[in-house]
Amino acid sequence: MSPNTASTGKDNLIADEEEVLQAVILADSFNKRFKPLTTHKPRCLLPICNAPLLDWTFESLALAGVQEIFVICRSHAELVKTAIKNSKWSKPGAGLKIVPIVTAKETFTPGDAMRDIYTHGIITSDFVLVTGDLVSNIHIGDVVREHKERRKTDKDAIMTMVVKQSGVNHRTRSKGDSAVFVIDPETSKCLHYEAVTGYPPKKYTSIPREILNEHPEVEIRNDLIDCSIDICSVEVPSLFQDNFDYGDVRRDFVHGVLTSDLLMKSIYCYIAKEGYAARVRDTRSYDSISKDILSRWTFPLVPDDNHPGGHSYEHLRGNKYIAKDNSVILSRTCKIGNNTLIGSKSQIADNAQVMASVLGQRCIVGAGSVVRNSYLFDGAVVGPNCVVEHSIIGSGVHIKERTRVERGCLIADGVVVGPQATVKPFSRLSKRRQDSDDEDEEFEDAEEQCEDDDDDEGEGEDADDEEEVDSELEDVEANQDPEALAKLGADTNAIIWPLPVVDEDEDIDELEHPDNQRLMRIGDNASDLVLSDPGSVTSSESESESDSDDDDDRFYGSNPASSTTSLPLGTPSNLVAQADSAVISEFQQEVKQSLDRAFAEGHSVDNAAVELKTLRMASNVSLRLVREAVIAAMVSRIKIMAGGGIPQRQEIASMISRWGGLIDKIGGVDPVETVEVLQEYCASSDRLPLFGQILAALYQDDIVDEDDIRAWHGNPKAQGQDVKPASLQDNYNKCWVTGAHMIKQFDEQDSDEESEEESDDGSDSGEPVVKDPVTEKLPSAGTNSSEEDSCEESSDGEDEEGNTDEDDSE
Amino acid sequence: MMNFDVTPVEVVTREFVAVILAGFGNELLPLTGEHGDEPCPKALLPISNKPMLDYPLSWVEQSGIKDVLLICPSSHRPAISHYIHSQSSSASFSSVHIDLQTFDESQELSAGTCSVLRHFANRIKEDFILIPCDFIPPPSLPLSKLLNKFRTDTMSDGSIVTSCWYEHKSDKQTTPDEWGSPAQPTPIVWDHLSGTLLYVDSPHEVDKNSDELELRMTLLSRYPQAKLSSRLLDSHVYVCKRAVLDLLAQKTRFDSLREDFFPWLCKLQYQSTKREKYATSIRIGIIIHRADDGFAIRVNNLPAYLEANRHFVADTSIGDFTRVEEKSTIKKSTIGKHCIIGKMVKIVGCVLLDHCVISDGAKLDGCILGNSTTVGSKAELIRCVTQAGYEVKDNESVRHEKLDISDWAAQPEDSEGDVEDSTGEEESDEDED
Repeated sequence: MSPNTASTGKDNLIADEEEVLQAVILADSFNKRFKPLTTHKPRCLLPICNAPLLDWTFESLALAGVQEIFVICRSHAELVKTAIKNSKWSKPGAGLKIVPIVTAKETFTPGDAMRDIYTHGIITSDFVLVTGDLVSNIHIGDVVREHKERRKTDKDAIMTMVVKQSGVNHRTRSKGDSAVFVIDPETSKCLHYEAVTGYPPKKYTSIPREILNEHPEVEIRNDLIDCSIDICSVEVPSLFQDNFDYGDVRRDFVHGVLTSDLLMKSIYCYIAKEGYAARVRDTRSYDSISKDILSRWTFPLVPDDNHPGGHSYEHLRGNKYIAKDNSVILSRTCKIGNNTLIGSKSQIADNAQVMASVLGQRCIVGAGSVVRNSYLFDGAVVGPNCVVEHSIIGSGVHIKERTRVERGCLIADGVVVGPQATVKPFSRLSKRRQDSDDEDEEFEDAEEQCEDDDDDEGEGEDADDEEEVDSELEDVEANQDPEALAKLGADTNAIIWPLPVVDEDEDIDELEHPDNQRLMRIGDNASDLVLSDPGSVTSSESESESDSDDDDDRFYGSNPASSTTSLPLGTPSNLVAQADSAVISEFQQEVKQSLDRAFAEGHSVDNAAVELKTLRMASNVSLRLVREAVIAAMVSRIKIMAGGGIPQRQEIASMISRWGGLIDKIGGVDPVETVEVLQEYCASSDRLPLFGQILAALYQDDIVDEDDIRAWHGNPKAQGQDVKPASLQDNYNKCWVTGAHMIKQFDEQDSDEESEEESDDGSDSGEPVVKDPVTEKLPSAGTNSSEEDSCEESSDGEDEEGNTDEDDSE
Repeated sequence: MMNFDVTPVEVVTREFVAVILAGFGNELLPLTGEHGDEPCPKALLPISNKPMLDYPLSWVEQSGIKDVLLICPSSHRPAISHYIHSQSSSASFSSVHIDLQTFDESQELSAGTCSVLRHFANRIKEDFILIPCDFIPPPSLPLSKLLNKFRTDTMSDGSIVTSCWYEHKSDKQTTPDEWGSPAQPTPIVWDHLSGTLLYVDSPHEVDKNSDELELRMTLLSRYPQAKLSSRLLDSHVYVCKRAVLDLLAQKTRFDSLREDFFPWLCKLQYQSTKREKYATSIRIGIIIHRADDGFAIRVNNLPAYLEANRHFVADTSIGDFTRVEEKSTIKKSTIGKHCIIGKMVKIVGCVLLDHCVISDGAKLDGCILGNSTTVGSKAELIRCVTQAGYEVKDNESVRHEKLDISDWAAQPEDSEGDVEDSTGEEESDEDED
């Protein structure tokens, strides 16, 4: 087991040098990405694969042959100390000396912590600097040896950063917080470091030309995972001390040292080609690292061997891990998917499904529930017929029956939600404090001050003081929306944390900007953010995509969208159907976002069509769904004019002539289906009165023709047969009647032009058209009887224009 | 059944045409200055007693390409045409059909490579290889290597250009500063795995940001292991799809291929909006020739000219019909044809073009003497370059100078007997013959 590996590593080192290898763990995260999970617990004590992160870090360091570890803790320092005391590494004979060091409350950055280390004077030789959320199996000992070797020839080599070669889009490589390294391939000296935030997308990397003078050939690497393992020389803390403005180790220290003309120090990279190392920087990497552990990239640190928590698991085919002590109760009819870890004393009831998830100890998944891509800490209970998607559920959380937890939720310890609740995507819930029963009063009082409360958010401090926690909770509690709370179910004790808001005036760190943070959230595919810079066309097109107002709208607008398509929580038997409909609902949401953007930013029909096609291919759904989405998007944007009449027709005609072409460019032309879909949408929305006019406009623009309308009309479904809610059946029928009138007009038109005039009576009334569908005059989109001729001509002219435009665009 | 003999040869379309650009060679002045009224075309300056043009032509011939479009200034046409049709070259390039075309421009105001190419676009119907007349390709880099990369790249992914960059390790600068500096490498970024050229630094970029090299993140996302080097030089050999000419026609304001057009083309690869506008899938291949793999050089300046000549000569080469008198020493030098070298002459590390006359007791060190230069007795020249027909008087001593005829006339020091100008030269010419 691990103590053995540790001692062999140690022996090697002792053979080389007499010095004890020291390590410093920065146990504080200095940011709030895991809130509210971290309100009562520091991040380093959150479990990943059922062992606290700090233990994984100890394990990684022991594997590397480290003998003395200083743990720098700030928030919840007492908890960290206790955890260290209880850790197996503190037992005599473990070969590790672990010393917790509590720093001042005013330590806000890793830089402050380094200055603290300097003042403590604990560092005597080269040391390993890591964060308290590291999972690694890299032989840091090799790196240390390389570093010391280099120091013999180059006294100015003060640091070696361990980076791992991967791909640009590796799941563990954070899109929101990555970097470009410029490295001399011969010496692996790092010549330039450029931090990259994901959103807004960075356009350029600027490499100082002067590095080419000394290093004519360099490599520019954008495919490295920064493991945050640094081998530092003794000077490093003192450099932090001298440069009091250094905050972050990378963005400030490395950047500062490399760009300084005075320091004359050099930093090297160690590009690890083998082994695994990654940091739990955010909830997204929590997700990906969990998956990496389960799929054994971290071997020999895997759940069934060397588990840092000391648990023992049985490794089954498909990377399923079940606690070995026979305490897990699995129903005969439950289904356990691949890449799943189930802690001891957990129970999975009948017909429940657990897929690609980690369950802590004593977790219960009720009958018929689905837990997918989620992380349940110890003692979490999921009631019957629930769905939990891509979320992190704190210990002791109780999700009551028929509750749906959508993707990206963080639910803190002890929260109860449900029954029959829906937790919206990316919700952050924590438990209401006991004493705040008189919330209504508080609610009133604190409303004015709510705006400034968010200001602290970006600062990145894990409040330690209970008071501080309390005040933070108080703020959150003060801002509860009773309606949203009501949706969390009758028995809930939760409060909802606000969505991150950006104050325009506030000078917020780019890295912690909510849009950028979205790239670090679990379950957020951020498909609506434009992450690659398309480059610039010198003259004509200005970059409209960087319009930040639009982005914000998109961002927040997207969240509730999926709740409109939330699924009925069905019986266990239709779980497969549910999985399908999850795909569908995600697709619908994405299409909606794509179209929102197309409409808002005035994309060309072709560009919008390309985007839709890609989306459709990605989720493999039927063409009809795309058609539904396009038509819904268009029709829902047609404003209902109070007076009806000409303005209404103009409104419709302008929308259809601008966007109508899109219907036929989504990958297949099926006008009959178009009419069906239009009917379906109109029948179930308040656009019912517009059905006739829209259909006429589509006819005008040649998107549907006479035969199509006849074909649709001839189909019994068009009359609303078999439509489920009876109320809709009526609406369907109304549409059908409108269609019938239209066809009648076609017939009349064929036989006798005159007959049109009869049908025009009373079209001024402004009444909903369906009640008097005869008002439609064809083929022009319902001209008024009084000014019939002129209108007819003009509208014909418009149509022709519309058509030619369209031809051009094709 | 099948008669193979009657396969019509004409049907086979040409795959490539080689376009060789021969310019004035202003960087090689005074060697390319006029000799009397006759131009001294850069393309015909000898390197190791072979005209410079021989090197690219035989490179083309070896690759099996049959058609060459040779573009030169109209004033150079007689000389180059004469060379092409002369006995020596037509014998060696019998399989190549050379189409000599001219463009009108003056030496002072030369047109950019873009305009020249645009002008001849209608003569180029197929994919083409752009070759400068001054590239001396190494034997280890046959043109077919470039062509094969171009062929595979264009077949597999819409690559439209294959470029060739070479590393040049020059020792410490051996030529004086007065000669001008050797060519400076251009920083480029490329992807090693796929052999894709991604970025070419240009004066425009330097103007924009002289301290930093700005690279698009989209470049680095597509090619996350890019290499950046400031050691490589552009051979100016580009294998291009015909479509490149269409792009060139659209960008009328571009002047230089190397400084404007190709840097812009590189950006098309990863800037989607730009690419959409020009509606082609674009990739630019790159072949890198390392110095260790053989000597490559572009002879477009004086230091390079001297270096190229020295490279090809193990110790000394002396051209046909040249006479060397007794007690003269010649080391590490190239002597042209029909030269006359007198007694007690010392020549070290020099290049003498044809018809030079060196009188008794003269000393030459590290010089390049243009056609028909005469050096008086006991004159001493150290690291000088002379224009064709220049005369160095007896006992004269010059160091580190570019000697051209106008200077020579204007210089007060040597103003004694310098009126005996062109006639004297002609006389000496006849003497040598």
